[in-house]
Amino acid sequence: MTSLKTLAIGAALTVFSLPAWAETDITFWHSFGGGNGKALEQIISDFEKKRPDIKVTAQEIGDYNDIVTKLQAAIPAKRYPDVVLLEITRYGLFAEKGILENLTPYLDKDPLKEQLYNFALDVGKYKGSNYVIPFNSSTPVTYYNKALLRAAGLPDTVPLKNFNDLLGAAKTVQEKLGAQGKFGITPMGQFARWGIVMSNDSDLIDPVSNDVIVDSPKTVAAYEWMADLVRKYKVASVDGITDEDAAKAQFTAGNVAINLDSTGVFGGFKKALGDDLGVAPFPCEAVCRVPIGGAGIGIVSMIDAEKKKAAYDFISYMASPEANAIWFAATGYLPINKKTLDVKVAADAANKDEGITVSIKQIDYARGRPRPPVVTWMRKMEYGVWESVALGQKQVPDALKELAAQTRAQTTN
Amino acid sequence: MLVRFTPYAMVLPIVLCILAFTYWPILVSFDLSFRHWDFMSSDKPFVGLSNYSELVRSDEFWNSVTITLIFTAISVPLRLALAIAIARYLTTESKTVRALRGAFFLPAVTSSVAIAVIWSWIFSTDAGVANALLNNLGIAKVPWLQTPSLALWVIIIVNTWKQLGYDIVIYVAGLQAIPEDLYEAAKMDGGKRWHTFRRVTFPLVMPTTYFLLIVSVIESFQIFTIVDVMTQGGPAMSTDMMVNMLYRTGFTLFDVGKGSALAVLLFVFLVVLTVLKSRILGKRVHYEH
Repeated sequence: MTSLKTLAIGAALTVFSLPAWAETDITFWHSFGGGNGKALEQIISDFEKKRPDIKVTAQEIGDYNDIVTKLQAAIPAKRYPDVVLLEITRYGLFAEKGILENLTPYLDKDPLKEQLYNFALDVGKYKGSNYVIPFNSSTPVTYYNKALLRAAGLPDTVPLKNFNDLLGAAKTVQEKLGAQGKFGITPMGQFARWGIVMSNDSDLIDPVSNDVIVDSPKTVAAYEWMADLVRKYKVASVDGITDEDAAKAQFTAGNVAINLDSTGVFGGFKKALGDDLGVAPFPCEAVCRVPIGGAGIGIVSMIDAEKKKAAYDFISYMASPEANAIWFAATGYLPINKKTLDVKVAADAANKDEGITVSIKQIDYARGRPRPPVVTWMRKMEYGVWESVALGQKQVPDALKELAAQTRAQTTN
Repeated sequence: MLVRFTPYAMVLPIVLCILAFTYWPILVSFDLSFRHWDFMSSDKPFVGLSNYSELVRSDEFWNSVTITLIFTAISVPLRLALAIAIARYLTTESKTVRALRGAFFLPAVTSSVAIAVIWSWIFSTDAGVANALLNNLGIAKVPWLQTPSLALWVIIIVNTWKQLGYDIVIYVAGLQAIPEDLYEAAKMDGGKRWHTFRRVTFPLVMPTTYFLLIVSVIESFQIFTIVDVMTQGGPAMSTDMMVNMLYRTGFTLFDVGKGSALAVLLFVFLVVLTVLKSRILGKRVHYEH
């Protein structure tokens, strides 16, 4: 009896000691682990301290493709998150289907709108309305390993301004160090491939008309050049064709001299290579043009109004100068808020390492990519096409023509 | 009355679970195979047999069927032959033999993802152990996972390595059940090792072989994880098994109807194969003195 009384008193005390406000729980799906994941945890923790009425449960789902797959499967099961990070060319699919909340009315009332760079606002727009607020924005840059270039007899400052410069440096490294298992360049990942196509004054999908132009002559020429790095010049390892992570791992292990990759991997690369890491702007071939990559955060439209409000407060904070400064300093992703570099932690990072600011200098000629719903499908198919051309199993014009035809057919379905 | 219904009441929970989590999804999948759906749309229009007709008219489908059949035709006999050959040496009871049985069985209970990742490293072209060994012998690097004609063999090796332990354990049990006096009689009749194996061992483990044949063919048709981690069906679709195509169609390209149609066809394939095996081998399974 005594123990029952004690239990009842304990329960009553617990109930009455709860805070006066009702806590709103929001679930956030993202794709960050490792160092980037720790920076994200810190930002979320800071937000929860600032807003104790909101509890954020962050879940790392996998890469951008994994999030798309899981979200799509979660919708009919009604097990979707409240807030989700979606890659910047793939959210159009969900906006089109009404899965994402239109954020324009929220942004219109939020001072954040004036603080965001235009590029950040633009990449979050689908058919004129904002559906995501960018969190991790990036452009591809040229990373190089100074020690390997020196070992191959090249200066740290070797020009890497266009395709010929890259090929020349890669060939020299391969010739001098190939016998030691070193490589001149990594095979291009999908983000870099899109960048190379844009640098050759073309695209995969026309940004104005949304027409499929993956088989246009300039796109074909860009793919020919990328495939030749592997199949003709043999300055890139075949392992990286079937596994982009393997390519990154070879670069961070100090076995590859040049790697074209997202500015978002700067933090990891710097940690691995230290002062041997050099960063240069993305090559300008026919034009200087780079794609804006990364992901934005959107709200799932099916959640209730109270959660939507809390969710918007959370994603607005994620784009705030203080949150964006922590993110920029820890990862190398672009500042998306005009006031980010006024925050000490971001200013210190920018002053400390010139490499981290290379992508900022590319913002002037960075472009958002087209994002009609078919892009999600096309990007998934493109992996196999790249694999077949880089390994010499198919001719580039044939493979891209086939991809274009399939994508056009998919668009009309 | 109560006693009469007690057994039914006791099995009811598991029956309900099986109905809910096995048979209901099969029925839903069958229904979806006649519809068009992308997971997100609220409507799922009925499209008749168009998912099936699109599948059977696509090269991609027949490629995956062919690859799966080749994989099954090579890996199943290889597994069973290796398993029975090894199992013959593991029938005695000693500490060493028990340890060996455990060692052979270990891959069968290890995560397929972990196994696939490790074998990917082993067969990595530029950083792999396999090529490092070949390099020491003066042989040039082999792009194992980037060459269509080799990638399937790598998958077969890895899958055989993983599944072999299970087959061995089942065979050991089958071999241990063979009466020792039959071997003694064969020996007295002057039977050589191969002759004894062909005339005594093999016929008497036929029920075990038949069981393993059914199970391993089904497993081979269902292979997914190792392929997905190591090659994602590439290069150039050379390892694109039916389940990999099913996953890609349903969960990557979001064509749930066509993915379900593929699942139904896979089910039909397996039923037909099992019936055929039963017709062809069924009468030879049980050896009679």
